[in-house]
Amino acid sequence: MALSVENLTKKYGNTIALSGVSFEIPEGKFAVVLGESGAGKSTLLRILNGLTEPTSGSVYLDNEEITNSRADVGMVFQQHNLVEELSAYDNALTGTLNRTGFIRSLLNLQSRDDRELALEALKTVGLLNEAGQKVSNMSGGQQQRVGIARALVQQPALLLADEPVASLDPSSAETVMTYFRETVKKRNLTTLASLHQVNIAREFGEQFIGLKDGEVMFAGPRSELTPAVLEEIYGDIQTEELREGTESAEISESTQNGTTGIEANI
Amino acid sequence: MSTDSDSPVGKLLDRLLGENQEESAIKQQHAELKRTRLVRRLSQSALLAGIGILFIGSLTAVGFWSTEWIKYWPQFVDALAEYFPPKLYFGLIPFVDLAQYYQFMKNAGLVGEAGITLAIALAGTIMGAPLALLFGILGNERVTPFPLNFVFRGVMSVIRSIPSLVWALIYVPLGGITPVTATLAIGTDTIGELGRLLTDELEEIDDGPIEGIRSTGGNKPQVITFGMVSQIVRPFIAWAMFILENNVRSAVSLGIIGAGGLGVTLTVEEQTFQLTNMMATILFIVLLVISVEMISQRTRSYLRDDDDVEQMSFYQRIVGFPKRMSDSVLK
Repeated sequence: MALSVENLTKKYGNTIALSGVSFEIPEGKFAVVLGESGAGKSTLLRILNGLTEPTSGSVYLDNEEITNSRADVGMVFQQHNLVEELSAYDNALTGTLNRTGFIRSLLNLQSRDDRELALEALKTVGLLNEAGQKVSNMSGGQQQRVGIARALVQQPALLLADEPVASLDPSSAETVMTYFRETVKKRNLTTLASLHQVNIAREFGEQFIGLKDGEVMFAGPRSELTPAVLEEIYGDIQTEELREGTESAEISESTQNGTTGIEANI
Repeated sequence: MSTDSDSPVGKLLDRLLGENQEESAIKQQHAELKRTRLVRRLSQSALLAGIGILFIGSLTAVGFWSTEWIKYWPQFVDALAEYFPPKLYFGLIPFVDLAQYYQFMKNAGLVGEAGITLAIALAGTIMGAPLALLFGILGNERVTPFPLNFVFRGVMSVIRSIPSLVWALIYVPLGGITPVTATLAIGTDTIGELGRLLTDELEEIDDGPIEGIRSTGGNKPQVITFGMVSQIVRPFIAWAMFILENNVRSAVSLGIIGAGGLGVTLTVEEQTFQLTNMMATILFIVLLVISVEMISQRTRSYLRDDDDVEQMSFYQRIVGFPKRMSDSVLK
């Protein structure tokens, strides 16, 4: 399904997090939101997922307005946000909550189809053999793949990811992103991810949305994402770092803080 | 201490060395330190004197100075001999006659009485724990909006402010003080105590899993169960074990006012001046309480240390028992 965002504004008191944000993502495209910390990336994704209410403006998924958290919008979080006490399989099954009644979900009485779906999703992210393992005993990269599996079990039409690899080491980040891309391609999912590592973003994204101070600075395909555009999004100093190489971006991947960005380590 | 400068030697040294700027600074600092030390000493003495006056005043209030109880001292010594009946083992080693204790424990069926005490505590805890969980959850601001959640917190506070002994009195119309009313009293107390601990635990949970579950489109009960309750399952069991420990002690004291179990035996033996038997009962209570505490503490430390805790083999469990026992007693 195609995503269309119209004139989205979000204010926290006097702080404007988003201001008149509008863009569209065609069905099946992998779009990436770029921007410094505080540019409004997380706010945007949270609104798209119904976790935060916009001050004004609206979000449409194939002409249907999104107002609340719903099963057909899957979300992958930077800090995984899994239920640590449960196994990978049980976490994947939480993706079925929306279509399972409270008592049935409490007693683990999901339908057979849903159970197979959960295992299939774990297989997609390469964790079928670890299905019975408790999430808290897994590595960060594995946990994030469980997070992706949970989102897949929701059978989403739109997949969102808020800095999915920001708290992972470079090689886990690569693995997670590869699984991520293969999955969304296989299922033809419309995807919107915020990524602060420009090299990863360029490698995986097809469409780009550049945010600065809550406003859209850029929207277009990879071919139009020139260094000049990046300079505009990130400001002068940052772009110089980007031109020199991508080491700084790699280092920042291991920073745990939720508000990390390239700018954070310059 | 610092009388150097007052002593003749000190004065002589002062004169010999002369008094330049630096030395007068030192002296000044010295005088300053001396003064603060004096002030500290004086206030410490005042504090001690205050405590002393409070102590003497309190002793007067309880009638400590009447010599009445001193007169009974020989009787206490006699009683001690009954508490701990002496016996010569092998004709030369004097020690407490454990056989007498054992005899009473067997004849009076203390194991069965302990069973009742334990049953009161267990039934009360198991009865109260789910309600404590419910109240704890409903008292949380994320679940119940702000002013309303204080209704549940308030109920828990009120319950907590009434000791379980008084709860037993409140339940007296249900047939006097019986094991049943004692169980209800402990159950009620558990709601307040455990509920309060769970409220605190719920305050500290992460938002992450809650948002994670919300994002899947789960409904509110599902978000609460999977996002919130899942995070406090371990603390819940751990705290329930801790409350069970307390409840066993409460059950003993409820027995003393007649609710059954070891407490009743204790009262009966005391009132019939069977002091050896009374001591035997006390020792049995110690045994029971320590056993429950040990089980509870082991469970809790296991739950707190997550799955990394090594499982003890049966051999280790047997061989290591004395050490663990002493560790847990001395804790």
